[in-house]
Amino acid sequence: MADAVDPVVARALRGVYDPCCRDKGISVVDMGLLHRARIDDGVADVELLLTSGWCPFASRVLADIEAAVTALPEVEHADVRITWDEPWDTSRLSPDARRKLRFMPDPAQVADREAFISSRLSQARQEAPK
Amino acid sequence: MIGEAFVFDGVAHPFNFEEGNAYGVPGQMFSNHLYAFHAALTPATEPVTPAAQWLHKWSIDEIGEMVYDHSDTDMLVAMPLPLTDLYRDGLSPWQECARLAQRDPDRTVLWGTVNPLEGKKALDEVTRQVEEYGAKAFKFYNVRYEDNGPVPWRMDDPKVAFPVFERLRDLGINLVGVHKGVPLGPQPIEYTQTWDMDGAAANFPDINFVIFHVGLPFIDETCWQLIRYPNLYASLAASLNFIVRAPRQFAETLGKLLFWCGEDKIVYGSEAPIWQPQWALEAFWNFQIPQDMCDGYGYPQLTDQAKKKILGENLLRLHGMDVQATVARLGRKRDA
Repeated sequence: MADAVDPVVARALRGVYDPCCRDKGISVVDMGLLHRARIDDGVADVELLLTSGWCPFASRVLADIEAAVTALPEVEHADVRITWDEPWDTSRLSPDARRKLRFMPDPAQVADREAFISSRLSQARQEAPK
Repeated sequence: MIGEAFVFDGVAHPFNFEEGNAYGVPGQMFSNHLYAFHAALTPATEPVTPAAQWLHKWSIDEIGEMVYDHSDTDMLVAMPLPLTDLYRDGLSPWQECARLAQRDPDRTVLWGTVNPLEGKKALDEVTRQVEEYGAKAFKFYNVRYEDNGPVPWRMDDPKVAFPVFERLRDLGINLVGVHKGVPLGPQPIEYTQTWDMDGAAANFPDINFVIFHVGLPFIDETCWQLIRYPNLYASLAASLNFIVRAPRQFAETLGKLLFWCGEDKIVYGSEAPIWQPQWALEAFWNFQIPQDMCDGYGYPQLTDQAKKKILGENLLRLHGMDVQATVARLGRKRDA
């Protein structure tokens, strides 16, 4: 997480999931949704990035995060909001989330489509449970 | 036909929004959600029907006129909704769709539907809809509500889904659609994701599966699945209707599909009567992926050939119909 995220907040959110990723056990922290988070004088200020403007559960994620942060003993009040100032991208994924998810690169980054697919298929086969 | 393209519309629903048809709050939410789609995505140049007028029982004549008399559509899928847990009659009962198909039997194809959670009853219904009513394919919805709670099921469930697929196969049906993405109402999102399509596609390689709404917002997952399974396809139904209000967003979706999955794997659907089909058809026929997106992201341009495949030819092939012969027989130029 390159952004200013208080590790206390990050720890508190390791058990909070976007419903889309709950079944894969990928928390909002591993998804890289945390943009900024700090606690100042009992007030937690948390900014999130969404992976997509289509996210149908933004309000639920906000509520779950607010509940988790407010449960911290040093937090009396939490202000949790979404920021649209910059887009989320796959570089924000944790290594574990990257392994579990399959995002496609922009075609411009793919020199040879067939070779790319072949390589990914081979990687998927190696990672498949034996 | 629009331009040189034969138009085979993959989905229209004769909705029944009659008062009293919806069960409780979830049903009302579903109705309001559909109306919101109509109101939000209809372009500013087109009429938006007031909610009180739009939320009524749509007759098969209204649907037929909207699609055939007021748009360049040549063929149509009459698509039922089996949401019997949200609406007394499921919202678009398959019997009503059968009547819609009988209205223009040359041009309108019936897709059947059942609730696989109903076990033997569902299997018997599959047989009845195929043998007595000529259903050519089936459409499924993975999230159900019973006793005010969701009861989801998966397309890769060997006990729930596979017996239905086996029955379809026995009856010679090899085309199955499934609603994915775009959660409607208070549904658990996990079951609108596309992960279960791997198991369905792998276990039934002789059935072609169409992921409706291209699984949005799970477009990357959908692409990766379409790459790996020759029997997976994606329908632009509803996703296409962003084309005027959010053309760059639509271009991104389409660009990804064209690059990763190819123009042979994408099919069209109007979702009439949520939207009048003609404005989206015209917008699509005239659409180009913005050049800066082709240059910057590497998306292939949308060619006339791709448009023809997407608007009709691919769906004709999926129905086992000869493209040239059908275009010659049913392609029509509407009077201006």
